[in-house]
Amino acid sequence: MAVHMYLSLIPEALIASMLEPEEFGTYYAVGTEKKSRGQAIFFEIDPKFRSELFRIEEALERCVPHDDGSPKRSIYIAIYRVLENIPLKAIQKLYLTTQDGRTLGIEPTAKLPKEENGLHLYREVSPVPPLVVSTLGPKSFYELIVKSPTSLVKVPAICFAELRLGNLATDPLHGDVGDLPYSNMEHLRKCLVDLKTKSVSTKMVDRLPTSGIPYRTIKNGFFVGNEEKLIHFPLPDEKELVEKHYRWWRSATM
Amino acid sequence: MEQLWLYIGIGAGILSLGVAVILYFWVLRQDDGNDRTREVAGWIRKGAASYLKRLYLALTLVAVVLSFVIAIVFSFDLTAIGNGSADVRPINGFIMAVAFIAGSLCSAVAGYMGMAVAVHANVRSAVGVSDNLNKGFRIAFYAGSVMGLAMVGLAVIGMCLIFLLTGNPEIVLGFSFGASALALLAKAGGGIYTKTADIAADLVGKVEVGIPEDDPRNPAVVADNVGDNVGDVAGMGADIFDSYVASTVAAMLLGFAIGGPDQLKYTIFPLILCTLGIFASLVGIQFVRVGKDGKPGNALNFGTIATTVIFSILVALLVIFGGYDFSVLWSTLIGLVTGVVIGFTTEFFTSEDFKPVLETAKVSDSGAAITIITGFSYGLLSIFPSIIGIAVATLGSFYISQASEAVTGIYGIGISAVGMLSISGMIVSSDAYGPIVDNARGIAEMAGMKHEVIERADVLDSAGNTAKAITKGFSISAAALTVLALFAAYSEVIEARGVSVEISLRSPLVVAGVWLGAMAPPIFSALTMLSVTHNAFEMIEEIREQFREKPGILAGTELPDYEKCVRLAAQGALSSLILPAFLAVGLPLLVGFLLGPDALGGFLGGAIFTGVIFALLMANAGGLWDNAKKYIETGQFGGVGSDAHKAGVVGDTVGDPFKDTAGPSLNTLITVMSLVSSLFAPLIAAFHLF
Repeated sequence: MAVHMYLSLIPEALIASMLEPEEFGTYYAVGTEKKSRGQAIFFEIDPKFRSELFRIEEALERCVPHDDGSPKRSIYIAIYRVLENIPLKAIQKLYLTTQDGRTLGIEPTAKLPKEENGLHLYREVSPVPPLVVSTLGPKSFYELIVKSPTSLVKVPAICFAELRLGNLATDPLHGDVGDLPYSNMEHLRKCLVDLKTKSVSTKMVDRLPTSGIPYRTIKNGFFVGNEEKLIHFPLPDEKELVEKHYRWWRSATM
Repeated sequence: MEQLWLYIGIGAGILSLGVAVILYFWVLRQDDGNDRTREVAGWIRKGAASYLKRLYLALTLVAVVLSFVIAIVFSFDLTAIGNGSADVRPINGFIMAVAFIAGSLCSAVAGYMGMAVAVHANVRSAVGVSDNLNKGFRIAFYAGSVMGLAMVGLAVIGMCLIFLLTGNPEIVLGFSFGASALALLAKAGGGIYTKTADIAADLVGKVEVGIPEDDPRNPAVVADNVGDNVGDVAGMGADIFDSYVASTVAAMLLGFAIGGPDQLKYTIFPLILCTLGIFASLVGIQFVRVGKDGKPGNALNFGTIATTVIFSILVALLVIFGGYDFSVLWSTLIGLVTGVVIGFTTEFFTSEDFKPVLETAKVSDSGAAITIITGFSYGLLSIFPSIIGIAVATLGSFYISQASEAVTGIYGIGISAVGMLSISGMIVSSDAYGPIVDNARGIAEMAGMKHEVIERADVLDSAGNTAKAITKGFSISAAALTVLALFAAYSEVIEARGVSVEISLRSPLVVAGVWLGAMAPPIFSALTMLSVTHNAFEMIEEIREQFREKPGILAGTELPDYEKCVRLAAQGALSSLILPAFLAVGLPLLVGFLLGPDALGGFLGGAIFTGVIFALLMANAGGLWDNAKKYIETGQFGGVGSDAHKAGVVGDTVGDPFKDTAGPSLNTLITVMSLVSSLFAPLIAAFHLF
């Protein structure tokens, strides 16, 4: 049985496992006797990746089948500040697992989405998970947080998703909310209006969102970047999700 | 000539039954898909069969006990009880007991046929819809027609045959009581079963674990699908069978009370209306086809309207050429039109195209409490058009008939109830279509069919929900008119024994009776809804335990124990019926024997008025909450996962036992109470404490 390495983002952890990505997603989301449950987001890491910061070999030696032949599900190699210590070239695929264990794999692309006019809503995933609105597109937002030497708020690496704002992106005051499921919509509107009326480029909407990331509201996928570069993991459009990944999409729209 | 109509009635019943059998085998000949679809459908079929086996066993016991009681009670000839004499004639008791058993049996057979075809049609409709929408629709509708046609066929055969053999409409009352007793247990039991499974499956599956509707990993998913059949096919079928027979027999009794040379003519007239209703339904069913617009709802509505028009023409021809008084034509038409109008106005309060649902969905953003208050308030308002309709039908049919010299005013009310229910063949066909397509959608999901198939099944399902809502409004209104006629029949039966009945609010006994009667529907509702919560609580624990003990279920590597949830739902539903059944049968007798016939009259009045109001409120508020949630799920007010949606889910869950357990069972409750009172009226007239 091959041993895989996964970088979980909720919570941030490097894990060795004998499970295939889909099986790992299910295990991670629906739990076993340990009752760990909920949405999971993780990257598959190049199995050849090694770093002095992580005791990978030791973990791999422990990652062997159980006595009954069943695969070892997880050996935690590291927790806390993992993303910033993994080079982006070691990151392979991104997996999004729904709360009931359906997993979707997304390939990375070097191409970033076209910058659009209007406001943006970002849900940071790692290292901290706030909900933020911004006047900046994904690339500029990443640069502000990770690369800008003038910014007070700076992290060595970040993973975030851009969420749909619908009509609020261009008309925060009167725009129709449509099917946006965000709680406290009036507060969101106010934050967006502030971006238009005050000289700020970002504003925090929610410090610690209690629910997971509503996959159905993801606009153009996930972004992961460090000081080296930014990678984009585009989420397929709704038509493709319905046609090719119906089970995942149905769970994601619960 | 009247005798001939009885033979024609029996012939029409046989024809209806024959067409039902032909459609049954036509459905069975359709493709049932692959091993997986067959396996999933097999789970549902097995679960439904196991519930029906338990239900019918319990019903057999009840029927045997009640038939012995009836045989003993009616062995006393109480015709001249007012004069203080009573002979013993065991043959009378025997005949009444046989009529009672026949009524129970016909209702059971109709329900069984409906269920039997539904559990085969669900998978075939799912497979059919994978070819095209029309094919899936046709299979589901024809399967629903098996229930509709079998029901009216058996009812008409039974009533005509008994009247032909005995010439006494009071014996037909025994037939009706048999049908109603079974209907009450089937409807309340089915309602408790279906909502126990539905609520438990949703609360653990959707809310706690986050798995979608009809996901095969949910241990309660099969029980949920079985519940659709036992609640909405067998239960609703039994409910309408009961109203259909009760309204006919009430009108027959009132026709019999007219006396004179036209006594037989107007006693049989309700049976002739049922016969014409069968012919109209048989033709009307042919009009149900999905047109180029691809809207199954329109096809069902068109079938109902076509049946109504055909029936109206047939009745007009009958009255003109049969020498009947024109007042009976107007009474029939008043009932028919009122039924259809009330059915469709129900849609105003439960459809997402109108203000009540839209406003309830909108305010859900402010939390579940506001959702509940708004939905409940609109549920209360929804009483208005139906009550106005019932009042107009009551007054219109009464005064038109009263003005004629041939019949009495109260007979007109009875005829308007029969008019409303005479197209039941078509109404039940549309109604039974609903749970079949609901199941088809579930099977498509569980069997992993393509998303296009599920989307098409969704379209069929949506039309089924609307048909269900219309049928509920229709059946509640029909039950209201039926019990008004039975109420009058009760007085006629008592007065025929030389005992005068005076139901005046100046009498303390009557007032006490009104209070006790008014109390019965709310108590009955509470008992059935508490049964749902108690049983759902047990099932929730079972589902949680299965998820806890078998982690492979959620991972998709292990099958849940569906059978256990099916068993829990069945046991819970049947054991919960004892108290409600006593309330329906025991309480009127207790009031009658203790407080006397006047108080029992007051009791019936109280029960009828609160029963109809509660039934309308619960059915409409429940439907409204359900559709408000569905409307939010289409992406409005934040869509799925939003605060509005969470509040909508709470509203829907509260509304579930309202609309599918307590609400629809109240029709049957008030009918059973009225029938018990009428049936035992001679005995109560003879023996009462006050």
